[in-house]
Formats: sequence, structure tokens, C-alpha cells
Amino acid sequence: MTEMLNGSGKILLILAGLLVSLLFLRLPLGDTASKFRYITSIYADDKGLGLKQPEGVACSGESLLIVADSGNGRLLRYTFKDGAVEIGTVEMKPDQLSYPIKTEFDSRGEIYVFDRKQRSIVRFSPAGAFRGYLKPAGLPSPATFVPRSFTIDRNDNIYILDILSERVLKLDPEGRYVRQIKFPQEYGFFSDVAVDFKGTVLLIDGVHGMVFSAEKNSASFSRLTSSLKEYVRFPASLTTDERGRIYLVDRNGGSIIILGQDGSFIGRQSGMGWKEGSLNYPAQMCINNKGEVFIADTRNHRIQIFAVVE
Amino acid sequence: MKIKNINLGYVTLFSVCLMSFLTFAAPVHSKNEFKLKLGAKGQICLKCHETLKKTLKSRFVHPLLKKGECIGCHVPHTSSHKSLLNEDRAKLCYNCHKEVLPENARSSHDVVVEGNCKTCHDSHGSNNRFILSKSGNELCLDCHKDMSADVRKVRFKHKSLENRKGCLNCHDPHASAKSSFLLESQAPTLCLKCHKTDKASFAKKHMNYPVKNADCTSCHNPHGSNNRGIIFDVAHAAVTEGKCTECHQKPTSLKTKKKTTQLCRECHKDMVDQTFNKNRVHWPLVDKVGCVNCHDPHATKEQKLLKGSIVNVCGRCHADTVELQEWSIKNPKNDRLCEPVKKGNCITCHSPHAADNVLLITQKSVTNDLCGRCHEWETHSTHPIGAKIIDNRNKNLTVECLTCHQACGTGNKPAMLTFSNTYELCLQCHVERRT
Repeated sequence: MTEMLNGSGKILLILAGLLVSLLFLRLPLGDTASKFRYITSIYADDKGLGLKQPEGVACSGESLLIVADSGNGRLLRYTFKDGAVEIGTVEMKPDQLSYPIKTEFDSRGEIYVFDRKQRSIVRFSPAGAFRGYLKPAGLPSPATFVPRSFTIDRNDNIYILDILSERVLKLDPEGRYVRQIKFPQEYGFFSDVAVDFKGTVLLIDGVHGMVFSAEKNSASFSRLTSSLKEYVRFPASLTTDERGRIYLVDRNGGSIIILGQDGSFIGRQSGMGWKEGSLNYPAQMCINNKGEVFIADTRNHRIQIFAVVE
Repeated sequence: MKIKNINLGYVTLFSVCLMSFLTFAAPVHSKNEFKLKLGAKGQICLKCHETLKKTLKSRFVHPLLKKGECIGCHVPHTSSHKSLLNEDRAKLCYNCHKEVLPENARSSHDVVVEGNCKTCHDSHGSNNRFILSKSGNELCLDCHKDMSADVRKVRFKHKSLENRKGCLNCHDPHASAKSSFLLESQAPTLCLKCHKTDKASFAKKHMNYPVKNADCTSCHNPHGSNNRGIIFDVAHAAVTEGKCTECHQKPTSLKTKKKTTQLCRECHKDMVDQTFNKNRVHWPLVDKVGCVNCHDPHATKEQKLLKGSIVNVCGRCHADTVELQEWSIKNPKNDRLCEPVKKGNCITCHSPHAADNVLLITQKSVTNDLCGRCHEWETHSTHPIGAKIIDNRNKNLTVECLTCHQACGTGNKPAMLTFSNTYELCLQCHVERRT
């Protein structure tokens, strides 16, 4: 049969064969480029009170969203389903919260919030009831710490970025000390921490535009990337998706940089601007298991929602 | 073996070629390349280049000229390089003087890297050592004019600057393999060459603190100052008053009594407490280094004990923003650049310690309170502006100065506008006007 094919036909046949082999043998295809498709934005609560400089947004598998509406000193809970934000926003404005800037869910739906003014992590029940401040138990010397950020892994372990004692603290879900990873010798300033699905801890150094990583159980950080200043101005926040891709939020540059698990550059999405789809001084980003992306677009006073399109 | 089959003729030819190569590949000065008459060399050149006869009488003459080896640097007939040099001026001197620029030097003099040796040296001869064009500090201060003014006007001078070696007591004029600023070595090693720490007077002046391994330049200005003991002009009161124990433990070590910001709070309580009561504390204030990220605890040249000029201190972390600012200053289109941007005075708009507002902006309202301090925004010629004017693009935004302008600088865009021309800018909102 191959004798009947002309030159280009043979090439097509070979390419098709290769593609089938890759799919069946699950050979690595490499990271394909992803794009963000704009879906919608959240501008206000149900009563019409506009968001004010929101810096945090967390998303759960159950379509729940928690927004840290920093300028208004409150949390807002939304439901995002079938590409739309449902009516029925819940406002949480407890006395224990002053200036929320980052928020996360754990697997039980509990809400963790980082308060910048108090420099402490506050716990709330899924319904928004105050559960207390996170007070790590059994910390080794030095027992003092100043959190700059935090994250929660799949097993509900809590990781605190401690800029005072230059380390990442790992706590169990009850807040008991598990271990610590010291900062590397040379760095500029770490502003956020993330943990991927393999348990690798990631740090972003905004000053040098570098990502550092420590594999699960590793006692030290090493450089995952060289300086990314070619692509970013001042990355201040990072997160990962289910496949281990790393998303850097470029605060000053108003864009999202996508990296592979190995730190390789995959792409850059969005850009500085005011219109929907553009970002102005973005802060936290969250991506759920449906590939929906939520970004706290701080200086545009809104949360923007995108879908990742391969 | 194959060797038996080799033709002896080829072996002879190879040997002859090898011998010829070894003979003729000798250095250029060791053979009479230009077929000059015996003993001619430089003597012939001097017949026309009479000024060099005078140079030959100088106290210090370049050895090649002295030997009459003009062809060491020049080609007598034609050359692609100026002054009939036999190589590009930037490379010529390095043929013999490679050692002046060590590989991987930690710091190097720009003129040396560029091969502009003539900036300091007369290539033929002079009455100054090392055939320098001027003697002593005069040569260095000719270019380093800012330093020149500082050094001359200070009340207390560093004695080593005034002796014969002057600047060269501490600096290597070409490059330094190990140290910054062309220093022979870093402080305190360099300083301890002259200053003996075991002297009683030394110990007394330093309140018996073990400063032998400390960085002397954290207090002393090596180029002189208006403070006794050449302590930098802007000094922490505790330093000038000799009250080291205000911050440090007893003179058995240099350890401080408390750490970072907590130590500074002992005296600057109100300021620290006010700072920590704001929504947004500048993060470096609460890290391991704290206040000392930006301030020197002892003495500096800059106001408020800053570690450098404001823009330099901010630029250590916020290089991307300072890059925009620098670019804006150089941009000829930016003739209406905001004064604080022009001067790099970031703290006109940003609070370096803490603020309640995003970007640590000092005022709640950008238009009314921040820009309005200098600009009469209500008289803005073309556009309605203020808290009641909603931005077409986003119902949560009002039209303010930063709707059109970018306050830290916009690189090559005019009038600090966010977009490169007004058409592009206006169409952001007025889409119906698009042609």
C-alpha cells in the first residue's frame, strides 16, 4: 500500500504513526502552550458594594470562591458554576480580621486567611465562623517568626513563609511543627510559597525574578530557574496546577508567567491594562481542577476569571 | 611497519618547513622586518619627529622609545590604525602589559577595560613616574570631579590621601582581583596596614570594642569628612557621642542587645509603633535584617542614615521601576517629567516604612491628595477628573491622574502617559471615536 502513496502521503502517514505511538505509549509530549480565555469578572457583592483592592482569592473543587477584599477588610464567598457567578454572596467581616491579603481552603473547606496588618494567619469554618489564629506548636529555636505568606498542600499540611527566621515552616493540619526548610544562602526577597502535587515546595524571589524549589523531604532550597527578568518585572506570587505547572503572578508587569515543572518557560498570559482580560497590579491567583483561573486584579478592584485553553 | 614506506624526501621537506616556521615565527622586534639600515630604527624616525627628542629627555621614557624601537608600536609605512600604530590602540598596550587587567577581576577601571591607557599615561615619556600625564592625586581627581570637591572641602582629611602615593595608597589604578572599587583589599585588611589595633589609643577611641574584624567604612569615610575621626558626615547620634552601649552589649563582643527592628524601637518607639499600626508594613522592615536593609546603623553620607541615595536604595529591590524612571529621564520626549521622578525622590509619593494604601502610597486619594499637592488637577485642560467620574472600562474605577499617567515614569512615552500617543490613550475609553 505504501508503494501507492506519493512523497507527501508517506510523510503524513509517518507523522500519524508517530502521534499514535506517543498517545498509546504515553511518551512525554512536552509542555504545550496554554492560553487564558476570559470568562467573566466579579466587581461587587450582592448588595452592589464594589470590591476594593482585593489581593486574595482561593478556589475549591466545589465551585466555591473566597475573595480577600483587602481594601474593605472583609472576605466574600461566591459560587462559580457553569461559567457564571451565582447570586448569593456571603460577606464575612469578623472583628478578628483587619487586612486580609491571601486566602486558602483546606480539604475540609476550612478557610485560612493571611492578615497583613496583624501578620498572622486566621482560621475560619466553612460557614465563616472564627476558629482562631494559627499558632504553631513545638517550633524549634528560634521560636519567633514573621509570616509573609502561606500555603496548604493536598494533605492539609500548612507551609508558612517565615521571613524573620529565613525558613519555610511545615505544620500538620493541627498546627504542630513538622519540619523546616532554611532559605538558600543567596536570594533577594521571598514573597510567596507554593507546594505542587508531588510535595515540592516552591518559593518566588521577586527581586531577582527566580523560582527556588525543595523537593519533598529535602532540607534545602535550590534554584529551579535562573533569572526570569526577561519575562517578568516583579513576580510576587505563585501557584501550581494539577499537572505541576507553575504560574507566576507578575505584580508590576500585570501578567501571568507559566512555567513547566522543571522551571522552563512555557508562556505569558494577559498584560497590564484596565479592560476586562487585562490586569493591573495582580496579587493571588488560584486554579481549580476544572482549569478555571481566578486572579485578584488588585488595582482594577475586581476578580477576573479565565479558562485555561490548551 | 608503514614507517618504512615513508619517502625520505617528505621527511626532509617537513623538517625544513618546521625549522623555517620556528625561525620566522619569532617575536616581531627580534628581526629586522622592515630591512632598516643597521642601527637605524628610531634614529631615522627622530629626523622628522623632532618633538620626541624633547620627550627623550624626560625623566621617564617608555623603554621601547628609549631603545629606539619605534617599530615596537608603529609601522613605518602604512597602517589601518591611527598614528601608524601596528594594532588597534585599545589592544596595543596589552601585547606587553597583560598583567594590568587580571582575569575575573572583581573591579576594573573603565579606561583600562576600554584600552584608553592614554587617559592617564603618555605613551612616549613624561616627568612623572610610570610615564603618567600628571602626578599624584591630580591625575585621578581630574576625572573624579565629585570626589575632588568632597576631598578638598572636608574639615578632617585622611592623611594617606595627602602623601606622595595619594589615592594609590588604597586603590589599584588598573583593576583589583579581589576587591570592589579597585581597592587593593577590602576593609579592614586594607585599613590595618596603617592602623594598628593593638595600640592603646586605638582601643580607647573605639570604646574597647573588638573592631579588628569590623568593616571600618561602616563608620569612617576613607576620603575624609567634617566629623572628627573622619566619621561619615551623617552619623547616628549614639556613634558621635561614643554611646556604643546604647545598642551593643558590653565591649567583649559586637553583638547587639536586641535584634533588628526591636533594637531600633528602643529609641524610635513612636515611629516604629506608628509604622506597625498601618495596614501595609514594607516587608523588609520585618525580615531578619529589618531597618538595616535601608539604613546604616552607624554613619553614612546620605540623610536619614540611608545606605545610598533614595533611588539607589529603593532600586536595590525595585530595579524594574527604577529602570523606567531612569529611562524616562533620558527620554528627550519627556520634557514634562514630574519633579520627584526626575530627582529619583520615591518617598515624595511612597511611604518607605508603611502605609494604609496599595503601593505604599502616602495618601488615600491619588488625585486629590497626592498629585494635587503639586498639580492643580481641577484646572486640567481637557478631561473631567475626580472621585465622581466613573471610568468607562471598569465601574469600580474613577478617573484619576493614574488613569492616563504612570507616576514612576513611562520610559519613552511623552508626558508620563501610559500609552505612546494621545490617540491610543483616549481610545482606551472613547472607542466610538476609533477611525
